[in-house]
Amino acid sequence: MAPRRSPSARLETALAERHVLVACGSGGVGKTTTAAALALRAALAGRRVLVCTIDPSRRLATSLGKGSLSGRPRAIELKTMAPAQGGALYAMVLDVKGTFDALVLRHTQDAAARDRILKNRFYQQVSAALAGSHEYMAMEKLLELTKDDRFDLIVLDTPPTRHALDFLEAPDRLLGFLDVSVLRFFLRPYFKAGRLTVQVATRTGAVLLKLADRFMGLQFLQELSEFFLAFEGMYDGFRARAAEVQALLRSPSTGFVLVAGPQAPVLEEALYFHRRLLEKQMSFVGFVVNRVHTDPARERAARGATRARVAPGLAAKLTLTLREQQVLARVERQAIARLEVDTRERPVLVPELEQDVHDLRGLAAFAELVFPRGREEARAAGGSR
Amino acid sequence: MLLDSLFARRLVVLTGKGGVGKSVVGASLALAARERGKRVLLVEVATPLEASRRLGGPPSHGRAVEVQPGLHALNLDPQGVMDEYVRHVVPIDLVARRILASPIYRRFFAAAPGLKELMVLGKIMVLEEARRRLSREPLYDLIVVDAPATGHGLAYLKVPLAASRAIPVGPIGHNARRILQLLRDPARTALVVVAAPEEMAVVEAVELFHAAEAEVDVVPQAVVLNGCHERRFSEAEEAEVLRLAKSEADGELQPGVPFPAAVRAARRQIRRRRLTRFYRDRLARTLDTPLVSLPFLFRETLGRDELRTLAGVLEAA
Repeated sequence: MAPRRSPSARLETALAERHVLVACGSGGVGKTTTAAALALRAALAGRRVLVCTIDPSRRLATSLGKGSLSGRPRAIELKTMAPAQGGALYAMVLDVKGTFDALVLRHTQDAAARDRILKNRFYQQVSAALAGSHEYMAMEKLLELTKDDRFDLIVLDTPPTRHALDFLEAPDRLLGFLDVSVLRFFLRPYFKAGRLTVQVATRTGAVLLKLADRFMGLQFLQELSEFFLAFEGMYDGFRARAAEVQALLRSPSTGFVLVAGPQAPVLEEALYFHRRLLEKQMSFVGFVVNRVHTDPARERAARGATRARVAPGLAAKLTLTLREQQVLARVERQAIARLEVDTRERPVLVPELEQDVHDLRGLAAFAELVFPRGREEARAAGGSR
Repeated sequence: MLLDSLFARRLVVLTGKGGVGKSVVGASLALAARERGKRVLLVEVATPLEASRRLGGPPSHGRAVEVQPGLHALNLDPQGVMDEYVRHVVPIDLVARRILASPIYRRFFAAAPGLKELMVLGKIMVLEEARRRLSREPLYDLIVVDAPATGHGLAYLKVPLAASRAIPVGPIGHNARRILQLLRDPARTALVVVAAPEEMAVVEAVELFHAAEAEVDVVPQAVVLNGCHERRFSEAEEAEVLRLAKSEADGELQPGVPFPAAVRAARRQIRRRRLTRFYRDRLARTLDTPLVSLPFLFRETLGRDELRTLAGVLEAA
């Protein structure tokens, strides 16, 4: 087993050395905030960092303070925070449609083919909504950004999915869908003849076709076949690109940070994701568990001299309040302990914040909790928690 | 009062950012409707933690199960719904089976844009239309839908709109338009936005609220603020707690209850209840819609008893 370095230290090393960090996790666990805080941390330490989010509701903009972010990297003003020499922070949001369009442009040779796709109604309606297109475009964009030498580190926030794992599997699904070698076999004859012909390869294909005609109509089917035919010439380019993305994700310079909350179902999801990462031979950097409710009785306090005296009514309320928070802390501790046992990893635990994060200061304060000064050493010296 | 308005419809659709407790709100609403004597169906989509389990019933396996008298839960599996649809439109069993086994069909369904969403919404429409055999009364008086929080909260609701535009003719386009009509009909459907008293969740709830109106032409009927912390200490007591927090006082309130820890816990409670008030005020100021608060529950699990508590709060709102 690897030496038991503190989980924060391992994250810190990754921030200093890796080229790409991908923040994954199910929705609502503070993934965007974590990604932004990690990026800020690395920028303040002197790296040139880009944080990229896939965010229809522009949450990153909220946590980076003000202004709107776009599909192009924008420098974030860090002056007041005294970054180390050379440190800079850039932020952007992924423009799914724009990235898809750019991809089409890159892979089509002639203008006619390009127009055929871009003007295709099916493409227009669905390119942003295609299942997996957010994830696929995120990876596509990532590949492009890694070739941009303005950035030493790219922190990628991933789309909010119900299941964190969707991020890794969506590109395969999208490629499967665009794999015209399978689909054309029932769509192509349609396009060629403009009507249902008997020249379909198999009986199943014929039935599917007849059904498709009955249920979606000729016009739609033609648009659909045009879409696939237009993609036919691009498919090899797409696949080559996808292989590059896979190589990037497996590269030792890429690391995955799994973000979770302290609730059992969320941690189960993180556990599953961890297993899949290892199976796919991708580099796991650490767990960050956000919004952990600590037990107030376990926090150290200076022992005072005076004995407390409060009215009985208040005493009862105080007791109830403490009991409630202890229940919550215990439930969460048990869930986190299960994750530790199952993965043999110690997560970074970020306690619930005093205030919500919605500006750079908040992000910096959040980063302080991820990388607590001094506390880790004390913990290592004490040997236990 | 709020429930009078919501339960007058056929369909209550919940939406909101992931992690705000939509499924708990859905189960509580369903329970509240059942308490009023309605026949209720709670629909979830491919969720691992099923409401039927919370409510003490058996797992759904893609079929409606009666978890309590009058309360049914259904955990829809989109692939299962699609398969069922194929079997429905292909009368010849052998052919249907061959289609279902075909890799083209599998791949197409796995990634075809919006197809899963359309199938799930179509199934909900069918359930809404389902009638009892003899009386011709609706099979369910009320259907509560916990729409999955995949991507943008509106992703699901936008699908029928996109489909009705992309597919002008044929039964699929036709059904997409019928689904859209159902969702847009305020007499039949109420959209409810679920939020939590946190910055991001509130920002998203407000965006969702406006986007539903602007992009899908559906005006949400209410906002449920889940996980609220309410005032526990009086003004004077709060002042006392904050003073004690600064003092050096020590000892125990009673055996096993250390005083400094209890004061820390109280300070946290005060901070949380202030945040709750802050975000509730902001929602109330920003959105012209009924706003209901559900309390944060400090429990080991959220089971039947807890859901009943929340249902009671909704009933009193």
